[in-house]
Amino acid sequence: MERQSSGRVEVPLSTLRDGESGVVSSIMPRHGKGWGFEKRLMDLGITPGTRITVVKSAPFHGPVEVLVRGSRLALGRGMADRIFVEVDRK
Amino acid sequence: MSKKKLVIALAGNANVGKSVIFNHLTGLHQHIGNWPGKTVEKAEGTLHFRGYTIDIIDLPGIYSLSAYSLEELVSRNFIAVEKPDLVINVIDASVLERNLFFTLQLIELETPMVIALNQMDIAREKGIEIDIKKLEKILNIPIIPTIATKGVGVFQLLEKAVEMIEKGTVKPTKIKYGGEVEEKVNNLIKMLEKLQLKYPRRYVAIKLLEGDQEIEQRVNEISPQIVSTAKEVAKEIERLHGHSCPTVITSERYEVAGCIAREVQKLVIPAKPSINEKLHNMTTHKIIGYPIMISLLLLIFYLIFTFGNYTSDLLSNILYGFKPLFVDLFGSGFLGTIVWGAIEGIIAGTTIALPYIVPFYIILYLLEDSGYLSRIAFLMDNVMHKMGLHGKAFIPVMLGFGCNVPACLGCRIMETERERLIAAFVSTLVPCAARSVIILGLVGAFVGIQWALMLYIIDLLIIFSLGRLAFKALPGESTALIMEMHDYKLPHLNTVLKETWFRVTEFIKIAFPLIVVGSLTIKLAEFFDLLEPVATILSPVTVIWLGLPAVTGITLIFGVLRKELTLVMLATLMGTTDFAVVLTHVQMFVLALVAMLYIPCVATIAALVKEFGWKKALFITIFEITFAIILGGVAFRLLTLASI
Repeated sequence: MERQSSGRVEVPLSTLRDGESGVVSSIMPRHGKGWGFEKRLMDLGITPGTRITVVKSAPFHGPVEVLVRGSRLALGRGMADRIFVEVDRK
Repeated sequence: MSKKKLVIALAGNANVGKSVIFNHLTGLHQHIGNWPGKTVEKAEGTLHFRGYTIDIIDLPGIYSLSAYSLEELVSRNFIAVEKPDLVINVIDASVLERNLFFTLQLIELETPMVIALNQMDIAREKGIEIDIKKLEKILNIPIIPTIATKGVGVFQLLEKAVEMIEKGTVKPTKIKYGGEVEEKVNNLIKMLEKLQLKYPRRYVAIKLLEGDQEIEQRVNEISPQIVSTAKEVAKEIERLHGHSCPTVITSERYEVAGCIAREVQKLVIPAKPSINEKLHNMTTHKIIGYPIMISLLLLIFYLIFTFGNYTSDLLSNILYGFKPLFVDLFGSGFLGTIVWGAIEGIIAGTTIALPYIVPFYIILYLLEDSGYLSRIAFLMDNVMHKMGLHGKAFIPVMLGFGCNVPACLGCRIMETERERLIAAFVSTLVPCAARSVIILGLVGAFVGIQWALMLYIIDLLIIFSLGRLAFKALPGESTALIMEMHDYKLPHLNTVLKETWFRVTEFIKIAFPLIVVGSLTIKLAEFFDLLEPVATILSPVTVIWLGLPAVTGITLIFGVLRKELTLVMLATLMGTTDFAVVLTHVQMFVLALVAMLYIPCVATIAALVKEFGWKKALFITIFEITFAIILGGVAFRLLTLASI
C-alpha cells in the first residue's frame, strides 16, 4: 500500500499511529459509485494539501478520530483507508 | 403604521447553535413542517420588531451548498429562488475555518447577509481570539458576536439584520480563485451573459466547473453548448492540477477560508487540557469509554422505566376511573361500547406517550445537544458496521428500547434510503418498554430472571443476524461514518423542551388515529362475539404449532394495539394474574418470545408507513409475523424436549 515520492511516504490515513499527522495527498474514489462521499469529506475540510492528525482509533477496526482545520471528525475505517496522506518516515 | 413583511433565513453548519438563536428570536411562534414535497424538515417562525412582521426560516444545518444532499439543495434553492431579505449566517467561532468555507459559498450566492459569530465562550475556552473588526473588513459583512445559549448578542443581531435590510447597500467581498481557475470562471460567465438563470452567473459558472448536476441540467435545457464547454474546461484544469476539477475548486475555496481564519484569529493554547478535552478523552477512550456508555445508558433506561411505570399506572388508574361515570351516561349497549372503544384507544395512546416517550425525547435531545450522542456513535460504529450500518444507526436502535415509533422516525439521520430502511427494520425488533413489561412480567416473574435475560440475548442475536441478512439482501453499498464531534457543551434546556414538544405532537399525529381505529375494531369484534371464533380459527397456529392455550389468539390480537395488552388481556380473560396457574413455564417463554417478535405494534406500523410507504411497512409486518410464529414453534418443541 506504500507509495514512495521524494523521500516522503504516501500511506492510507488508517495506518497512522495515534498522535501522528500527515498531509492529505489524494482521496481514492470508490469504484462504480458517484463521489458523493469524497465530496462530503472535502466539504468537511479534508482536501489535498491539508494537514490531518490522527488523535486515536477505536478498537477492533473502529472509526478513526482526526483533527483537521481545527475541527474534530470521526471517520469510519473504510473511509480512512481511502484517504492517502504523506508522512515523514525513514 | 403599516406592517411590513420581511423574510430572514438562518443558515450555517450543523451544531453551531442555529436552532437556539431561532428559539430566542421566535419564542413560541414557530411551526415545524416539511419543505414542500421533501422529507427535509422546515422550521419557520415569526416575530414582530420595529413595525415589521419578520418571518424567520431555520435552514437545515449543512457544510456546503452543492447538490449532494436534499438539505443542501433545499437550502440553496430557498436562498436563490425565494430570495429572503437577508440571510443570517451563524458561525461557530471555535471552528472558524470550516465555518468560513460555508460563508464563502453563501457569498457566491450573492445574498445580503449578516454573520452571527456564535459560541464565543467555547472559542475563548479553547484559547481562540478573533479580531472581529478585521474579519468584518475582509468579508465586508457586518458581524455580531453572540453566545446564543445565554442569549448574549441576539438582540443586537436582530437590530443589525433589520438595519441592513433598511440600508441594503453593502456587497460582500467575493473570493478570487487561483489564476487559471479564475480566468476560466470569467470566460464561462461571459458565455452565460445572455441566459436567464435563477442563480447568479458567477455561481453557475463555478458550479458548472464543479460538475453540479442540478445546475448542469438547468443550463443544458437552454444551452447544451455551454455545458460541454464547461466540461472541457474542467478537464483542462484537471490536467493542470493533477486533481479533479471539483477537488481543485473545493481546495482553493478552503485555502481562502484558511487564510482568512489565520489572519483574524490568535490561538493561545491553554497549558492544561480543558475539562471539555478531558471529558472527551474519557468518553471516547478505547477501554473506559464503553463502561461509561453502558452505565449511563442503563441508568437512563432505569430512570425512564421507573418513572414511566409509575406515571403510566397512575394515569391509567385516573383515566379508567371515569369508566363507571361513562357507563352511567352511555350505557353498555352498542353505542356505549363503540364510544368507549375510541376513548380506550386514546387512553392507551396517552399512557404510552406521556410517561415513556416524553422523558425519552427529553433525554435524547439532552444527549444530542451536549454532544454525547456523537461519542456513542463513535464507540458503536464498528458493531453497527457488521450490519452494514454505521455508528449513527445505534441512535434509533437505542431509542427503540423505549418505543419503536421514535426509533423509526429517528432513522432519518441516516444518509441513504437503504440505510434508513435497514435501521428502521432493525429498530422494530428492539424490545420496547411494552415488550419489556411482557418479558419481565411473565417470564421474569414466573420462570426466572435468567430466562428473561435469555430472551433479551436471543432478541439481540436475532436483531444482529436479521440486520446482517437485510444488509446482504438489499442492493447497494454500505456507507461509512463521516461525522463531526463538536465540543461538549451545556444543553440549552428551552431548545431541548421545544424539540421534545414537536416530536411528541408528531407521535400523536402518526400513532393516535391508528390506535383509536384499532381499539374500535377490537371493541366491535368483542361486541359481536367474534373473539371466540377468531380464537378458534387461530387455534391451529396457537394451540397446535405454538402449544399455547387458544385464548392467546385473542390476547395476541390485542397486542397489536399495544404489546403489553397481550399480558393485560391474558389476565382479564383467564381471570387471574397468577399466570403460574394457567400457563406452564414453556408456554410463558414461548408466548413472550412470540409477543416480542410477532409484529410491530399498530403505532409502529403507522410510523413505517409514513417513512417508507405501505408496501415496505406491510412487508416488514408480514415478515415479522411469520418469523415469530416459526421461531415460537421451534422454541416450543426444543424446550419441551429439554423440559424446563
